[in-house]
Amino acid sequence: MTAISAPVRSASRQAPQVAPRNMARLLWVELRHNAIPLVLPLIAVIFWFDSYRIAATLPPMWVVRLYYILGQGHALIDFAPFVAGVAAWMGSRDGRCGTGDLVTATVRPRWEVQLTTWAATVIWAVGAYLVFMAVTLALLGRAVAWGGPPWWPVAADAAGIAAFASLGFALGACFPSRFIAPVAAFGGLFAMGTASQIGFSASGGWALILPTMSNGNFGQDAGIFYQWLPDLPIDRVIFAAGVTVAAVGLLGLPVSAGGPRLRRSAAVVAATGAAAAVAAVTLAFTAYVGHYGTVIPALHDAANDRPVPYTPVCSHPGIPVCLQLAYRPYLPDVTTALRPVISQVTGLPGAPARAMQVAALFAAGSAVSPNGVGQILTLSGSPPVLSMPLGAIALPGSFGADSSSFVGQLKVEIVHAFVTPGGSYGNPAQQAVEAALLQSAGIPLAVQPSVLGATPWPLMSGGPRTAGRYPPPVAAAARRFAAMPAATRHAWLAAHLPALRAGQLTLGQVP
Amino acid sequence: MTAAGIYRPAPGATPAPVTGPARGWLRLAWLYLVSRRAPVAAALLAGFGALLWAALHWHWNVAGGPAAQIVIPLVTEAGAAAVIAVTTYGPFGEPERATGRWLPYLRLGATVALTAAAIGALAIGSTGGVLPGGFAALARNVAGITGVGLLCAVVLGGMLAWTGPMAYLVLTESALAAGLTTPWVWPARPPLDRGGAICAYLVFAAGLALVTVRGVHESVRDTAT
Repeated sequence: MTAISAPVRSASRQAPQVAPRNMARLLWVELRHNAIPLVLPLIAVIFWFDSYRIAATLPPMWVVRLYYILGQGHALIDFAPFVAGVAAWMGSRDGRCGTGDLVTATVRPRWEVQLTTWAATVIWAVGAYLVFMAVTLALLGRAVAWGGPPWWPVAADAAGIAAFASLGFALGACFPSRFIAPVAAFGGLFAMGTASQIGFSASGGWALILPTMSNGNFGQDAGIFYQWLPDLPIDRVIFAAGVTVAAVGLLGLPVSAGGPRLRRSAAVVAATGAAAAVAAVTLAFTAYVGHYGTVIPALHDAANDRPVPYTPVCSHPGIPVCLQLAYRPYLPDVTTALRPVISQVTGLPGAPARAMQVAALFAAGSAVSPNGVGQILTLSGSPPVLSMPLGAIALPGSFGADSSSFVGQLKVEIVHAFVTPGGSYGNPAQQAVEAALLQSAGIPLAVQPSVLGATPWPLMSGGPRTAGRYPPPVAAAARRFAAMPAATRHAWLAAHLPALRAGQLTLGQVP
Repeated sequence: MTAAGIYRPAPGATPAPVTGPARGWLRLAWLYLVSRRAPVAAALLAGFGALLWAALHWHWNVAGGPAAQIVIPLVTEAGAAAVIAVTTYGPFGEPERATGRWLPYLRLGATVALTAAAIGALAIGSTGGVLPGGFAALARNVAGITGVGLLCAVVLGGMLAWTGPMAYLVLTESALAAGLTTPWVWPARPPLDRGGAICAYLVFAAGLALVTVRGVHESVRDTAT
């Protein structure tokens, strides 16, 4: 009997199961020996200090509390450099330890073994991020009374962390050295810093793909009056997944990675990833800013354009005032702001019959306009209704604002909406009457430049927004008008308000 | 036959080099530096200097307050410190510690030399434009953050020592954005501020002393992961 005549033995039925089981064991070994857990305590401290600590002090609304963490990408900034550095270290292991030839000669293709190490690194990194975010959202959400957090931006950041880990791993595998970890980490930080710079200043285009870009896509009243639009986060997930897949594919291209068939497969994987990343950037170019956020037509679901129903909370400072439930903590401040102004204008033509909160909408650019962009309070309808987009005003506790500045800004906007239709500064007569009404509402003339500095109508004098002053004739007219008895002032306004609102009065006609 | 009577080299063997104490010292120092990849580190320090030069020359900046204004110089300073910290890792472990009686001096000399090289490289890089804080702030920041890296090397090992400067950089940026002015956040202090300088150089001295005397933490993870 020769080997040729020997019957062919059928393959063991257990054989196909061995490979996956061995891979699972290998993955388990890699998970146990991965270096990411070593830096997790450090990342936890940084995440607490840089992200959570600041978010916890912000007003109790998801969109405000998560603006810093998710909108401006600080969660990713805290994670990504460390993950990239440690992933580079893991990727460079065979090269650093001089075991490259050893593992290349083993039964498993080099790429397959590298993928196991990569998978363990990504699992640790993304898993840690998700755990940290879960804890963060649970802690931040204790004070939030309305809505839920946006999940797609969380997914986009998780995909971003996987991308950084993959790029770092590929870098480490290509250039094994003890220095590759810090180079990858500081390179990652430099990239995030540059992305922040672009994200702050850009308004659209390819920059939308950056996780630090919040213009036109994170803020206003998203998640309160309308749903979080997932278009852009989905696009970012596609981009990050593409980068991840491309980096993984690159690992399989060298000759040492495996046989020709495997390397061809790796090339296809890398090309697919690159194509996905390019497609995501291309989709970003098609984006435009809609009322509810950034819309990408190819990814947009019209069902996300439906407003969120709610039951308002109301008070009665002279007229009925109703706010969205999420803004319940600010109802006392709104009441405080409205009462002294309403008491002066009640009974006048065009005086508001009620006030209601409306959604602060997204808009391209930052232009102030009476209708449409929702940046300022407006008075419209019959009977007149004061529409208040409070989401466009810095709430107490955010961006350096406090209760006093919030009330002051509201008073200014209410008076402005009553006296000067639209977003313009108004003519000198309108400015003088506004200043007098504000003084009677509790904002002395001397303090008004500071209060106006936080509104769309600062008194410009070449210096800081809060350091301007009224032109002397306007200030003098305002003082005169404010010094008149309230009844006289009310009677004059009743007679001249239509002309004043139309901009037909001159400063000299103000008593 | 025993080895007791042999006092001459075997025929054909390369004669041992005749060296004086100075040349022997130089060779020892060079071998130590090579084992710590100091030449590559020097090249990377030069790279950070070039990066700083480019950033200042072409006015790369990040929009925002004081935290944003110094972010690029601070990244180069912390990056240089991270590179120095990573050089503290030694591949020989126990044999080197058991036989190298000059090891503390070599550690001290190498660290001081690399720190000086980092300051020099970044100082040259700062000629590309106006460096916020000038040379005094640069030297203080590099020394202090290097100290953080050295302390991290003592605790975590040389391979992970870069995480210290990286963490300090991120924390500093966050502290600057929040307006914290503690001297432990020395990059936030004026260049000639005494408190900031004391803290920075104290951290550097502590890190240098510990690395010199104790060496860095060695773990099987350095090579197993």
